[in-house]
Amino acid sequence: MKTEDLIAELAAAPAAAPPTTLERRAALGVGLGVLVTLALFLWALGPRPGLAAALADPVVAAKTVLPLVLGGMALVLALRAARPGVPGGALARVVWAVPVAVAGLVLWAFAATPPEARMAAFIGHSIAVCLPAVVILSLPIYAGLVAALRSGAPVRPALSGALAGLAAGGIACGIYSTFCVEDTPLFYGVWYSLAVCLATGLGAVIGARALRW
Amino acid sequence: MSDRNDRWGDLLRRANRGDGAAYAAFLTECAPVIRNIVRARSGGGDEVEDVVQEVLLAIHAKRHTWREADPVTPWLYAIARYKTVDLWRRRKGGTPVPIEDVAEVLPDERSGEVMAARDLAGMLDRIDARSAGIVRAVGIEGESAGEVGARLGMSEGAVRVAYHRAMQRLKEMAADETGRTG
Repeated sequence: MKTEDLIAELAAAPAAAPPTTLERRAALGVGLGVLVTLALFLWALGPRPGLAAALADPVVAAKTVLPLVLGGMALVLALRAARPGVPGGALARVVWAVPVAVAGLVLWAFAATPPEARMAAFIGHSIAVCLPAVVILSLPIYAGLVAALRSGAPVRPALSGALAGLAAGGIACGIYSTFCVEDTPLFYGVWYSLAVCLATGLGAVIGARALRW
Repeated sequence: MSDRNDRWGDLLRRANRGDGAAYAAFLTECAPVIRNIVRARSGGGDEVEDVVQEVLLAIHAKRHTWREADPVTPWLYAIARYKTVDLWRRRKGGTPVPIEDVAEVLPDERSGEVMAARDLAGMLDRIDARSAGIVRAVGIEGESAGEVGARLGMSEGAVRVAYHRAMQRLKEMAADETGRTG
């Protein structure tokens, strides 16, 4: 086919989808994903007893708030990355404030915990639940978000997949944290971070294939 | 540069609101620039125009990802670069092998035809029924795009675009199969 003919045919096609398609689909996909994740969470784990009282302590609240904030920022970045030529902007730098804050909390807890108690606090008793639970809870959100991102045009599929994994991992981690009773940053600062990193890496690997177009 | 951005932005804005003439002007003005990007990344060759058309189809399929507030040229160039790199990687996936090493496994032409016909039938089953129907009607039975469009309730242009895309997918499938067996 000659290029001029192709252009003539494309120009005769119906008008484009509205530019907000991506955001609407992402809202729908992430919304449905969160509902599935919440249902899964309530069925398998459920919130800890005395959750509201525990959250009154800022160090405990941080383990819920920080992953949710991280997830929200990653979600915005993932949507930007799905539009060709749109830079991440200041948010791409601001997002690093979350790992810095986590590192600060870990250092603070390290200093505040007596040396003989540090190892026990760091190992805790629920690593084997925490890591798989966060990754599994992230999957419905990840699936919903990636389905939406496919209607965009991510020119770096692995990066977009990683951002989607980070968004899903952050939100899933925030939900999981309401079950977990390990309240020292020596535990959650390390193992939550590892869990979110696993979700991010998995997201990058899947995204590199699923987000090609 | 900025003039071009403003002009193309204006054309694509009107195009996305349903102005076909503005859209044709937009694509026509973009095509030479895309051709330069493709050529710069491929070193020329016969396939350049194929890739240019693929990029135009990609722009068409993803034109809703441009927001009117964003500059249009970075958007356009990002798509052109992505598609060019992606297509070139797919096409030149394998490392070259000396012909003597594969001569024995190369099929002779007749059996090749039989294989091709059988593979085509198999591959048509793996794409969606509507596209497969269009490929059968246009590519095998020789119907015109207009006739097929009238039957399916699509415009002639839409049939041609669907046919072009389906053929592209079949080519990719065939390339994958060859990559696996050969």
